[in-house]
Amino acid sequence: MKKFLFLSTLLFGVLFFSACKDEEETKDPGTLEVNFDNIAVINNVQQQLSLVTPGSTNYAYTNALGQKFNINLLRYYISAIELDGPNGEHYHDHMEATASGSKGYYLVDESIPASQLILLEDIPAGEYNKITFTVGVDSSGIVNGAAGGSLDPATCHMFWNWNSGYIAVKYEGQSDVSNGGVSGAETVTGDNPHGMAYHIGGWKDIPGGVFVYNNKRLSFTFDTVVKVESKEAPELHMVFDVIKMFGSHHNIDFTGNHNVHKPADGVEVAHNLEHAFDYDHIHQ
Amino acid sequence: MKKLLLFLLVALLFGACQKDELSTGQFRFVKPSHFPEPTYTFDINPVTKEGFELGKRIFGDPMLSRDNSVACNNCHVKAVAFADPQHALSLGVNERQGIRNAPGIANMAFMKEFMWDGGVYHLDFAPPNAIENPLEMDEKMANVVWKLNRNSTYPAQFRAAFPEMGDTITSPFVLLALSQYQTMLVSATSKYDYYKLGKGELSANEMEGLQLFKQKCAVCHSGELFTNQEYRNNGLDTEFADEGRARITESAADLGKFKVPSLRNVELTDPYMHDGRFNTLEEVLDHYAAGVKQSATLATELRQGDFLGIPLTASEKKLIVDFLKTLTDHEFIQDERF
Repeated sequence: MKKFLFLSTLLFGVLFFSACKDEEETKDPGTLEVNFDNIAVINNVQQQLSLVTPGSTNYAYTNALGQKFNINLLRYYISAIELDGPNGEHYHDHMEATASGSKGYYLVDESIPASQLILLEDIPAGEYNKITFTVGVDSSGIVNGAAGGSLDPATCHMFWNWNSGYIAVKYEGQSDVSNGGVSGAETVTGDNPHGMAYHIGGWKDIPGGVFVYNNKRLSFTFDTVVKVESKEAPELHMVFDVIKMFGSHHNIDFTGNHNVHKPADGVEVAHNLEHAFDYDHIHQ
Repeated sequence: MKKLLLFLLVALLFGACQKDELSTGQFRFVKPSHFPEPTYTFDINPVTKEGFELGKRIFGDPMLSRDNSVACNNCHVKAVAFADPQHALSLGVNERQGIRNAPGIANMAFMKEFMWDGGVYHLDFAPPNAIENPLEMDEKMANVVWKLNRNSTYPAQFRAAFPEMGDTITSPFVLLALSQYQTMLVSATSKYDYYKLGKGELSANEMEGLQLFKQKCAVCHSGELFTNQEYRNNGLDTEFADEGRARITESAADLGKFKVPSLRNVELTDPYMHDGRFNTLEEVLDHYAAGVKQSATLATELRQGDFLGIPLTASEKKLIVDFLKTLTDHEFIQDERF
């Protein structure tokens, strides 16, 4: 009887163990949809952004200095996405920048809802609780020459010719306290008396170099884990708060330089990106 | 007799090989043996006959400009080593005057950065600066692409040059074609090159000029490209209408600095300096000998104790000019491929 018990325990153990093993082996890589939701947090309430037509004097937003503003255009690059899990899971998005197309460089545009959904594919099954990404396009998108897709310089409207490289974040709009005179903008003309353009760029990350580097590599840890496998379709919701873009580390004064087109002028807004982006929630 | 024939045959073959080393007559990029390694990303965009010829066609096509009036080769003229023989400052649509002199574009495959201020990191990204500058071609890349796609012959030519491209022309392929053409513009067959490779001689004056050049100029105009590819304020002004390299680095330490230009074909590429202020090589040497102006960012190479500039006698200047003219590459400007 003892022998039988021993044998059956052994058998059960072997069965159980192999079952577990089988189950793990059958989990196929899955996807994660990363949603970048552009918002304005007003009185601690998240509000969806609403873009206005250029020249509008409707000011729905107020910066930390009490200056009212609106938004015609909001666009930024997210690239080099990585995911990490508490048990050592790791995923990095495939990156490619060739004339035929680019992969891993996502241009998020407030006026194009589909651009705000980034589908990460072929993620090893497992649990993840951290995302890391670059706001902007680093040297990998430049040093190999002209690229297509989201990096196509003719269509992305995010390329500086004179200091060749990609703008990381582009805002255009107006404020009643700005005195206009904007140049080189897509939606705001020079004769707009209250126009503003903040084009935040600068990608030359050269140790000891003199160049201003304004891309930001940001990491966010989730308050829970997201389970990824072929049978799941989880969604990760990130937010980008325009109020924090103009007021967190630094309060951006719209009566000052509101015609920003070179790296050195964009340092403070770039620094604020660390707070403007945030993790929000997960749909499993 | 047989031995003699064999010897002649070998000599002929060897001669042919030697000729090949300098001028290939082919449609692929060949690094001259005495040149540094190219910087261009040929692994990603290798030169093909189809790509080169497409780039050449685009380079000469005024449809790159807003009103179809200005082509790249308006300001980059083959006969003068792809510089602008007429204008101190570039001339764009509606006779608009630019802010800088159009430099020659030989040996672009070996350059680390482009433009007088070095603001362009990769050759592919150089052409949009002229195409989209309101003072130059005043066109949008997207509109160039639109015009190319509507053309009756360009789309098929693009597909032949770039089989990986889909049916529609996109801007990166336009830029790759232009780079294929430009990287092939290698100037390495001047009298100096034949001398350097032991296949020709310089005159006594030219040799003397070369020695003087090495002593007095080569600290900046160094190597076989005759540029150290750095940025210097060479004492043209005390105040800077054009901030130069500082526009890119955003550092006051770079005010009034411009890229040290290659001196290959310099006899042909007048007028000189970033704003084309000097018309002759003699004027340039007069500047270095007696015209260098003091300023905070003046090149240290041009400060020798209390003396600003480069001490040069009249006869030394003449000998240096004699040498500089040996850098004129007649085979290059007559190459039928270009």
